[in-house]
Amino acid sequence: MTTEELIASGKLELYVTGSLTPEEIPEVEDAIATSSEVRKEIEHIEITLLNLAEAVAPPLPAMVWTYILNSIRNVRSIGDSKSGTNWSAITGWAAAILCIGGIFWMLQQNNSLEDELQVTNTENIDLEDKLQLSQGELAETNDILDVVRSKDYKTILLPGNQAVAPDAFAKVYYNSKDKIAYIDATGLPTPPSGKEYQVWSLIMDPLTPTSVGLLSKVSDNAKKVYKFENIPDPEAFGITLEPEGGSESPTLSQLYTLGAVAP
Amino acid sequence: MEQPNALIIEMQNGNETAFSKIYSLYSEAIHGIIYSIVLDNDVAEEVLQDVFVKVWNNSKSYNIKKGRFFTWLLNIARNAAIDNTRSKASKNAKKNLSTSNFVDILSGSDNLNQTTNAIGIKKFVDALKPTCIKIIDLLFFKGFTQVDAAKTLEIPLGTLKTRNRNCIQDLRTMVLG
Repeated sequence: MTTEELIASGKLELYVTGSLTPEEIPEVEDAIATSSEVRKEIEHIEITLLNLAEAVAPPLPAMVWTYILNSIRNVRSIGDSKSGTNWSAITGWAAAILCIGGIFWMLQQNNSLEDELQVTNTENIDLEDKLQLSQGELAETNDILDVVRSKDYKTILLPGNQAVAPDAFAKVYYNSKDKIAYIDATGLPTPPSGKEYQVWSLIMDPLTPTSVGLLSKVSDNAKKVYKFENIPDPEAFGITLEPEGGSESPTLSQLYTLGAVAP
Repeated sequence: MEQPNALIIEMQNGNETAFSKIYSLYSEAIHGIIYSIVLDNDVAEEVLQDVFVKVWNNSKSYNIKKGRFFTWLLNIARNAAIDNTRSKASKNAKKNLSTSNFVDILSGSDNLNQTTNAIGIKKFVDALKPTCIKIIDLLFFKGFTQVDAAKTLEIPLGTLKTRNRNCIQDLRTMVLG
């Protein structure tokens, strides 16, 4: 088909309106590529149809272009965020996970802290008990010290009985005015089981022993200092080992210490 | 009209200015095509917006070596407009593709484009043969294939081709002088 024949065939018009079959298109496109006459013809057909279509168009508001511009800009930004990594979402999720993790961690910390607090509280109670005990002991010791320092108390050394316990000794702090005696039993050996020491006040002439009391639980009393009251004016103090519970009269064969009250 | 290939390539590379120039060149004609199908001002504007957004987003699917840019635009516009009328066909039965053509639009002058060209075309179109009106309407405005147009008009394919050429030739002498 020559160029003139092609132009006359009406295929170019159909090509512009998009009505050609796909098989007919290559022929026209080859002709367009090689013949400027065909190109010109195509352009004339196109401008004619373009003008016809424009004539049919109602007035076109400028706003339409604004809408198009807005939507291609929106479309572009949405497209970007879709194609790229959505950092804001990732950051959001990461923050949420961190937050939840943090809450669990803090709960755990809180639990362990509560446990520690309980342990500490128990320890505190324990320490308070010990402190009270220490304070009690201190007060006791201070009392004893006061007694030792006091001018109202006489110090009487009861040396060991050579026959029974040569190394034993005891000390008596005696207030004759208030009739109070403190016995320091540090120097006495621990009594065998079933036995305990008994303190006696003695009048020498005639020999009259009066029981002052028992040094019970010698091993439990750390300071081994015993207080006795209402003691009749004695001339001497003696300590004997007696069966548990004490005896009516002293077992002289078990006399551990004996000492006279200085006038 | 010589095809603005440089502008088309710039637009394909994402240049908005080139796109706006292409819009100025083609938007009115495309608006006319869309309006001749949807027959409603607001709907036509809506479809036109959609069409040019599509043109921007899919500009790279057009190949300068394969077909005219105007033909490519025509296909997008006619398809969008026809899709729109189909989706609205059940709502508004009165609007029908076959009952209105571009001559009816040109005759109902209230909506007319007020350019001298349009007035000239209106005069000419008033004198167009009814066969020409049918052929141009189907092939150009409604996007029928030549086979479908020939069947619809009940004429042989060869006759359709020559008649279409003659009709456009007549129109062309009027438009281009």
